[in-house]
Amino acid sequence: MFDRIHDAVGTGKGDDEQRVDARTDGGTATVSDEDDGGFFDSVSRDFLGSLPFWLPPFVLMGFFVYGAIGWNFALSLVNVQQFNDPNYAQLDFEQYARAFGDPTFIQAAQNTAVLLVAFTLACLVAGLLVAILIDRHIRFENTFRTVYLLPFSLSFVVTAQFWLWLYNYQSGLVNVVTQAVGLGRYQWISNPQLALGAVVFALIWQFSGYAMVVYLAGLRAIPDEHYEAARVDGASTLKMYWRVIVPQLKGATISASVVLMVFALKAFDFLYALAGSYFPPNGTDILATMMVRQAFSAGQRSYAAAIGIMLFLLALAVIAPYLTYQYRRGEL
Amino acid sequence: MSDNDLSRRRYLKGASAAGAASIVGLTGCLGLGGGGSDPVELLHGWSSGDGSAAFEAMHEGFQEAHDTETDVNAIGGSGNTTLNARISTRLGNENPPSSWAEWPGQNLTQFTSEDLLADIEEDVWGENDMKEAYLSGPQEAAQVDGQYVAVPTNIHRINNLFFNKSVVESANIDPASLETPADLVEAAATVEEETDAIGFAQAMTNPWTTLELWACVFLGEHGEEAYTSFIEGDGDRDAVQSSWETVVELSEYFNDDAGTINFQQANQYILDGDAAFFDNGDWAAQQYISQEDFAFEEDWGHVAFPGTAGMYSLNMDSWVYPANAPNPEGTKQWLRYLGTKDAQVRFNTRKGSIPPRSDVSTEEFGPFQTSQMGDFQESEAQPPSIAHGLATTPEVLTNLKNAVSNNFSVGSMDSASSTADAFMNAF
Repeated sequence: MFDRIHDAVGTGKGDDEQRVDARTDGGTATVSDEDDGGFFDSVSRDFLGSLPFWLPPFVLMGFFVYGAIGWNFALSLVNVQQFNDPNYAQLDFEQYARAFGDPTFIQAAQNTAVLLVAFTLACLVAGLLVAILIDRHIRFENTFRTVYLLPFSLSFVVTAQFWLWLYNYQSGLVNVVTQAVGLGRYQWISNPQLALGAVVFALIWQFSGYAMVVYLAGLRAIPDEHYEAARVDGASTLKMYWRVIVPQLKGATISASVVLMVFALKAFDFLYALAGSYFPPNGTDILATMMVRQAFSAGQRSYAAAIGIMLFLLALAVIAPYLTYQYRRGEL
Repeated sequence: MSDNDLSRRRYLKGASAAGAASIVGLTGCLGLGGGGSDPVELLHGWSSGDGSAAFEAMHEGFQEAHDTETDVNAIGGSGNTTLNARISTRLGNENPPSSWAEWPGQNLTQFTSEDLLADIEEDVWGENDMKEAYLSGPQEAAQVDGQYVAVPTNIHRINNLFFNKSVVESANIDPASLETPADLVEAAATVEEETDAIGFAQAMTNPWTTLELWACVFLGEHGEEAYTSFIEGDGDRDAVQSSWETVVELSEYFNDDAGTINFQQANQYILDGDAAFFDNGDWAAQQYISQEDFAFEEDWGHVAFPGTAGMYSLNMDSWVYPANAPNPEGTKQWLRYLGTKDAQVRFNTRKGSIPPRSDVSTEEFGPFQTSQMGDFQESEAQPPSIAHGLATTPEVLTNLKNAVSNNFSVGSMDSASSTADAFMNAF
């Protein structure tokens, strides 16, 4: 970005080489040769002229998104329960300290971490495998692509009820299958040891289609010559993918995993629809469900705000490396 | 300059104008709204089924009697979850509706502690003989610290044991002879030995059903005094645990899919003759009544939960009077109407509950409700429901539900002890 500004300023100085690099997309504002006034004059004129275009979104975003985050942070520093008024004269980190001493919070944080890692990795692997299979120019390619992507388009309310039926001990398809292959029946949702795994599996079913689409786009961008060259050099199919193709999917992996991880942090809707309340099945409580429960069921608003801020920091921690990576590559 | 440029410039002008207009609009929104007589805004959670029909009938009655304009919003969601969240947000923003349906009792302290509700003793309770006609339990639940702030419209009973008549008969069990929760465990075992049916139908996706079952067992085993001490935060840990142990024993006879179904689905087992016993609020009976060819006393029956005969464990709905709400006069008119016989007959005949006024004739009610009304009049004690917020503050209730959801596990005696610990820490 700074490079571009530098370019723009450079153009103003009359560097002919740079001016050849004219942009077709309207691009960055540049200072034209006819301007006799100084650089700052024209910047201020541009600034004023461009105000109506960027100011409304800037104000709206600033107020409703960043303003709200800031207010939430302020709220987490006081002690507001249900409807009492916040006392902003006395700010402290008590709510954060309370969280780290609360076994429910620790458990929810652990579950969130497990969900984040297991769900993201499994989704990427499943998505990659399906994408490679579809990319082999099979018959009914488009049909398969639609079939795999379809779960992603369904609402959580639908898929949660759907999985409740699938996991039903007596009549659920999952238990019918495990019974048929001799593994017996399981209490997938009410056994705390299995519940989180069952939820992760259901979410993978829903989201691997998304990973597939991202990977498929990545695969399509790889020139046929790379496949041919690997073949000519005598690589097996497995080796060709492992050594030549998959390493080129780095960008796709990073962008898909950021989206998946940020989603995993906030997988509130699925659990809410599964339980029909703010109390998800034993062993599947995550920070997002705990935050809403504290805010709207227990009336512990400041505690909920503190949990919200910690979730926000986690989401930032996921996104920041991605943004840095994009920035370094000059794609931001 | 080409046409292309011209249209782009126009487009951008339009966009900037729209942006500016939206800012102006927002400033408008932030300002105060206009005056005038606002409609009476009513929020409730009965978005479907018998609850919705009951509210509609009562609302029609109000509009026939008064020409006050109303603005009604039904906000669905199991156990008032979504309604509570909406109310919490509206009150947090100092923008209360005119009135809304809320559980009375301790549940109201979250509002009264911040003076969000106002006194209606004179304007509402002073009319229609309400103070004389209301039974003492509902009348107490309508007050916080002696101040009347709500009008209860209906009473649900919690300590019920429903059963499928043909199933219990084929297992040779007389439900009326069950005297303690332990007898119930034994009866459930007999059912599973003698028949193909499930001993005890239960739903566990949501923790309140198990919390409610525990409360009935606790009342049945330890009585009302121990129950009162518990809800006051002074419970006896051993008693709490022993009742959880009974629930664990009973859970051996639950349907295996309890963890993935809701209470309506569990109740279906009774309707289909696939289970013998079921414990829930008396709204469950409405499912039997609305089923054709499934008659009270012939196909299904009801007794008080074993050990709780003579008690009528209460769950109520009420409408509150918020301070600083739009159209206070219209709201008082609405609340006064709720206290009348007409409103209570219209609502309760459809809801499956019984009216809190003692002078409502039983003529229009079915045989099950008539028998419940008789039980209520004769009841010696009316302990408030824990699972429905009448007995504790919302925070304690959340802790209790959390304790059930995070500790209780079917058939595990260890879980009885850990749930008991969590219960003691909930206060």
